Amino acid sequence: MANRREFLQTMAAGSAVLSGLACGGGGTPASSGTSGGPPPPPPAPAPTAPILVIVTAEGGMDLLDALIPMDGANAGAYQSHRPTLNVNPANTTNIGSNLGLNKAFAGMAALHQQGRVAWLPGIGMPNPTLSHFLAADLWSQGSAIPGGTGWMGRYADLAFLNGADPLRGISTDGLPLAVQGLDRNFVNISTPDTYRFPATRSEWGSIDDPSPLRLGFSDGFSLSGTAAASGMKAALESGHLYDQAQSLFSSLIGTSRRNTSVPYPGDANYPDATLRNDYFHLSSQLKFIAEMIAKDLPSQVFVTATGGFDTHSNHARDFPLLLNEMGASLNAFYADLASINTAKGNAQDRVIIMGWSEFGRRVRENNGGLDHGTAGLSYVIGKGVKGGIYSNYPDLTNLDDNGNLKFTTDFRNLYATVLDKWMGVSSKTVLGGSYPNLGFL
Amino acid sequence: MATFDTQKTAWTMDDVLHFGRRAGFGLKPETAAQLVSRSPAATVAAWVDGTASETAFNGALPLANVVDYPGYGSEPDQWAPHPFNLRVEHPANLTEAQSYWAWRMQYAPNPFKEKLALYWHQHFATGAKKVDNIPLMLKQIQLFRDLGRGNFGDLLLAVSQDPAMMIWLDTIQNKVEKSGDVPNENFAREVLELYSLGIDNGYNQKDITELAKAMTGWDYIGRDFPIVDNPYYFNDGEFIVYHGQANPYPNHPWLQGYTTLPNQRVSGTFTLFGVTLELGAGSHFGADAIQLILTQRAQACATFLAQRLLRFFLNPDLSASVINDFRDVILANAFHLGMSLKALFKSAYFYDPMHRFALVEGPVAWSVRAAKLLSPEFAAALQPYQQNSANLPRFSAWAGFVNWDTSGFFNMGQDLLNPKGPNGWKDHAAWLNSDTYRHRTRTAYALAVKESLGEDHLHVERFLFDTDFREWFPTAPTTAMEVFNRLTALLQPAPIPSALRDAWLGLLWTKPFAWNGSADTETAVRRLAFLILCSPQAQQH
Repeated sequence: MANRREFLQTMAAGSAVLSGLACGGGGTPASSGTSGGPPPPPPAPAPTAPILVIVTAEGGMDLLDALIPMDGANAGAYQSHRPTLNVNPANTTNIGSNLGLNKAFAGMAALHQQGRVAWLPGIGMPNPTLSHFLAADLWSQGSAIPGGTGWMGRYADLAFLNGADPLRGISTDGLPLAVQGLDRNFVNISTPDTYRFPATRSEWGSIDDPSPLRLGFSDGFSLSGTAAASGMKAALESGHLYDQAQSLFSSLIGTSRRNTSVPYPGDANYPDATLRNDYFHLSSQLKFIAEMIAKDLPSQVFVTATGGFDTHSNHARDFPLLLNEMGASLNAFYADLASINTAKGNAQDRVIIMGWSEFGRRVRENNGGLDHGTAGLSYVIGKGVKGGIYSNYPDLTNLDDNGNLKFTTDFRNLYATVLDKWMGVSSKTVLGGSYPNLGFL
Repeated sequence: MATFDTQKTAWTMDDVLHFGRRAGFGLKPETAAQLVSRSPAATVAAWVDGTASETAFNGALPLANVVDYPGYGSEPDQWAPHPFNLRVEHPANLTEAQSYWAWRMQYAPNPFKEKLALYWHQHFATGAKKVDNIPLMLKQIQLFRDLGRGNFGDLLLAVSQDPAMMIWLDTIQNKVEKSGDVPNENFAREVLELYSLGIDNGYNQKDITELAKAMTGWDYIGRDFPIVDNPYYFNDGEFIVYHGQANPYPNHPWLQGYTTLPNQRVSGTFTLFGVTLELGAGSHFGADAIQLILTQRAQACATFLAQRLLRFFLNPDLSASVINDFRDVILANAFHLGMSLKALFKSAYFYDPMHRFALVEGPVAWSVRAAKLLSPEFAAALQPYQQNSANLPRFSAWAGFVNWDTSGFFNMGQDLLNPKGPNGWKDHAAWLNSDTYRHRTRTAYALAVKESLGEDHLHVERFLFDTDFREWFPTAPTTAMEVFNRLTALLQPAPIPSALRDAWLGLLWTKPFAWNGSADTETAVRRLAFLILCSPQAQQH
């Protein structure tokens, strides 16, 4: 438990110091350092029905080859640590502060030009771990004192109504720790076409009457006289929530699904799901989320994930493909949102997208690949976002004992900003500590 | 050791069924009844050792429709011990491999071997997506069958040198050939963190670096590819170290012309857990490093194993003292897994009623058990298929252009042979969420209510078992209550409250009960089986 204790001891001091270091002056305006073009429009005002979309990049997304240091000591150190993997400045887009965005991340460059991306290079945590699972768990818990629940799960505990908000939080990729709270639940809907209750079909006819199955999920029958063991509790809650969520989902999503016969202006721009990383299909997941927003589901938080960023090998081949798909998917999604109008307003005004990964990668390349590292890259996209660079780039000439980056911004500052300024709740309550806002909202 | 000291000397029907669910894929009541009168110790020993004959089973493998026929290796004796010759036109077909393994789970005469292989697959979770070679994946599963009941050190070393694992966690990238090359740490980290000690439990970053050094140059060499048209799809692989010494494969297409192998190893020594060994032949080119985990960190390693094994086979909510007692069992048996697990299954503690139904059953085991309990035993199932040369019932099939696939496993949260990460699946309560449970109801429907072609013919969870519902009832029931009692005895859910039972029977039998061949009777019986399988109680085992 030494790591846990050290983590807690340094956390408070770390966040205070770093808030001053990294973001005391607010962000660097997006237009600074870029050439030509009018300044981007100011951010849209905070909406009355905000939506948060969280995009997880699983595996540990590299910072250095995504957002490249272009000059000074950092650029020299970058070239020497990455003799074969370094990205040529000619293959980057300058986004200010002498940082170049990998051209493969073109979809994000376009959003940046519109002034709608807040960049957080160097985001991380004190006492970082190089374990995927521990790092992802710490990010997911996101609290001053990690206690086994996720930061979005605790948000749900605070904000979701008990038993009356079955679709308020939706994950398209299982139910990760981040959305696990104490007594409120996100639902996982990954295959909308078959989201039915009860889900059956055959020559024997489907069981259209859900009542017998529903009886089995009812507390009155199954809990009477027995203490709910953890497995029974999970089964009852899952079954009950499935029934509730599915009934509401079916009634709202209806039968006219978005496809070529139901065109939406942004629809055509989603990259082909088979582009490269088809196993994770970020593009189709974001398209599905846009559809749920268009159908006016009462959903406030969407969680989705993509993977493949654990580039221990073949980094030069894979990483540009990963960036390309992620950027193009996010860009298409953002454009698609503009085409969606509901009673709650235009979707582009209502949505921010927050991207994160459990860590960045080792500074020095290793046989065509990159080992696990520490500080990484987060971003927030949205019409309500003041674009710019909101954290100091890590110092490549001052690495830790393992040759890893020292982080510049605590990841909980990102959460605090989103919770306070977008979700409208007290971040101190959800995170269990005070973390300064970063100023992009 | 106190917890596991007292041996079970006599057992009840409920005890035997509990044992069958945990150490296998369930027992029909008729089979369990035969075991009740036998001694628990002898039964457990035979079960774990796997003493049942596998001749008929191996002979039937060509009928399983997941191995290639006719042509390459179509004779049954060429399958043993494992048919890697998946249909060559679909060498990377994960679906067929999943179907093949599920088929083995259902029919294997020694089900414990398959259940334990499933445990090790979760423990050493390796994913087909990255390995990209299904025969190598199946080779790893066979490794679990062969060594899973032996010494853990032997197993750990074999897994470390297993081709699929070496691809999965980048051991084959762990090469140091020129200045500036540094070892790839991926496997070194995970073998300590996930496979032997647990996160930050008795090692540090320096140990990871040194362990990675010890395993530099480890690789595999493809085998048997001449029998397949496309040499990329070799059917087997073998461990090799690129150590700069004599080439043992001078005629292999990959190594023709080499009298000595390239040297991709760090030279000198490595120091792990305070022990310094030389990196060459003196440490068997690093293999001894794996043994150091067990010898230098025996307590931590045995504790880690105890936690993982008890969580899978007994109960996820056990006190530290129980875990420590099983750690001592493992240490007393010198890390012999079969001996340790026999001690567990023979102990009275294993049969304490508090453990019954205390675990959520994983989706694959849950599906296989339901299929097994609802369909004929192997010998009976085999007979008609031998007569007409058709295929045995199975979890997937190809017919024309239609692929009935095993996506049900994926949708229920356990994409067999293809976990997303090396930490495997989150188990127990995490198996169930509103979506995975939904897909369990789809599978339950396919199993209990006879399924046929759906309207789209594509990607429908489908299990091709022709079941005769009358065979579920050795004695014809005379009341709806008897139907319920027999179905729950067969399917073995945790006790279902009588009020729920009565409500179901009231909804399903609106007319006076009659046991005849009518569609009404069959519909009601099958729907009741469906409801039982879908119940929260039936997710526990």
